[in-house]
Amino acid sequence: MATHGDGTHKEDLKIVLKDIGQVYHLKKSADGSREFQALKDINLQVRAGEFVALVGPSGCGKSTLLDILAGLTRPSSGAVYIDGKEITGPALDRGIVLQGYALFPWRTVRRNVEFGLEIKKVPKSERRGISDHFIRLVGLEGFEEHYPHELSGGMKQRVAIARALAYDPEVLLMDEPFAAVDAQTRETLQDELLRIWDETKKTIIFVTHSIDEAVFLADRVAIFSSNPGTFREIVEVDLPRPRHNSDIRSSAEFGWVRHRIWELLQSRPSQECREGGNIVVKDAISPSATI
Amino acid sequence: MGGTNKESGHPAWRHLNKLSIVLFLVIWELAPRAGGLLETFIAPPSLVLKTLVEFYKSGELAGHTAVSFFRAGAGFVVAALISIPMGFLLGGGYRPFERVVNPVLGFLGQVNPFSLFPLFIIFFGIGEVSKVAMIFWVSFWPILFSTMTGMKGADPTLVRSARSMGAGVFTLFFKVILPASSPAIFSGLKMGAGTAFFMLIAAEMIGASRGLGWLVWNSQINFQMPRLFAATVLISLLGLSINGLFGVLERKLTGWHRKSLDGVR
Repeated sequence: MATHGDGTHKEDLKIVLKDIGQVYHLKKSADGSREFQALKDINLQVRAGEFVALVGPSGCGKSTLLDILAGLTRPSSGAVYIDGKEITGPALDRGIVLQGYALFPWRTVRRNVEFGLEIKKVPKSERRGISDHFIRLVGLEGFEEHYPHELSGGMKQRVAIARALAYDPEVLLMDEPFAAVDAQTRETLQDELLRIWDETKKTIIFVTHSIDEAVFLADRVAIFSSNPGTFREIVEVDLPRPRHNSDIRSSAEFGWVRHRIWELLQSRPSQECREGGNIVVKDAISPSATI
Repeated sequence: MGGTNKESGHPAWRHLNKLSIVLFLVIWELAPRAGGLLETFIAPPSLVLKTLVEFYKSGELAGHTAVSFFRAGAGFVVAALISIPMGFLLGGGYRPFERVVNPVLGFLGQVNPFSLFPLFIIFFGIGEVSKVAMIFWVSFWPILFSTMTGMKGADPTLVRSARSMGAGVFTLFFKVILPASSPAIFSGLKMGAGTAFFMLIAAEMIGASRGLGWLVWNSQINFQMPRLFAATVLISLLGLSINGLFGVLERKLTGWHRKSLDGVR
């Protein structure tokens, strides 16, 4: 796997996905082992500070790709480079926000936000200032000593975002983060995320199954096709920034981009994980992928 | 549960549970006095109390209680020290191995220590160790099984989230898996402690020269009904206190768990 001469060292490129493939070996009792190609030929270059959304059918590789980016899963082939260096495992240069919040229920909001800092071995005296800052950034001042069970879904997701931002990763990976909250909270969180993105200049990879959400948030939308999971097309979203939920959704450009992505997703319908034809296959693709 | 909350809110209802205790004591007090067989077999609470006070004054009460507590405590602590790490290894470690040994563990967990008592005596003699070994045996299994359950029940998204932040095995264990499984471990400890004390009395009845169980047994064969009842009441009260103590500890240490479950509903 060559790291030189393939463009991975360009200055403004933050993340380079090169020929990512993921193959799962499914064990079947009757006909021996079978292979399932979850991801194939994934190539993507993300500029520093860019917001890229991944959309596509559920459970067909998006979350697997995010796991690979997070370093939680090694790809069967290909490699991921961040700042020109191949990633080999999880590290604090990438923050992750999951759909199910994944907050530690035994920790207060503050202690949740400080978790990454503890791993990073930031001294206690400094941790407090940092957590204060990020709790304020996500608008949760006054809730520092609350436990997750005392918060609403939207507030929990804010904590998760603050936690991922607190240890100052340059890349934020978000796996359907707003899928579990109601529509109104979702729009508020989207607005907030864009504001935070603008303030922190992070590079964001955002997995979603909502075309609306992808178009509203992202600079580019990568459209997945399934079986094997690969990019069908990457669509530029040329909508002006700053964007606000109140006005942009009704614009003609928004409708046009939205429709185009919708068409791309429709063009080869109901291919969702037919291979293998059972739950096992779906589980193998990504245990975290739901709905 | 909402209904009982409402009821306990009303002053009259709130005292109803105390009333049942009073009523129970009154019947217990009066029934033996009606005469007949009851009088010979059942000591009324006033007499029980009198006997307990005498016990206390003579120092017998403290002596027997201390001996019993030492045995139960030693067996329980040693069981916890071994079963919790073992539960972590089996529940979190190598799954195929766990699947292989699980049936055997399940079977051993069901083996009644009284059938093993002769073995304990052969191995450990008739002294303290065989009784402590018995307590060890009964409290070991609930703690082991609940620790394994707790390990397996640790939310994988929490683990995934912590791993994504670069948490190493050590951090993952102490900051995620251990706290996540602590409610299950605690309920195992609670169950183990209850069983330990319960079984101890029985163990002391079959082979001891001191302790609360011996007191019951000794009163039995000497047909000293007030003493028998006094010892029984004392044992029940101590058992209640142990439960109460663990209840308080549980709320203090793993209160977040119960509350987050309530939040889901």
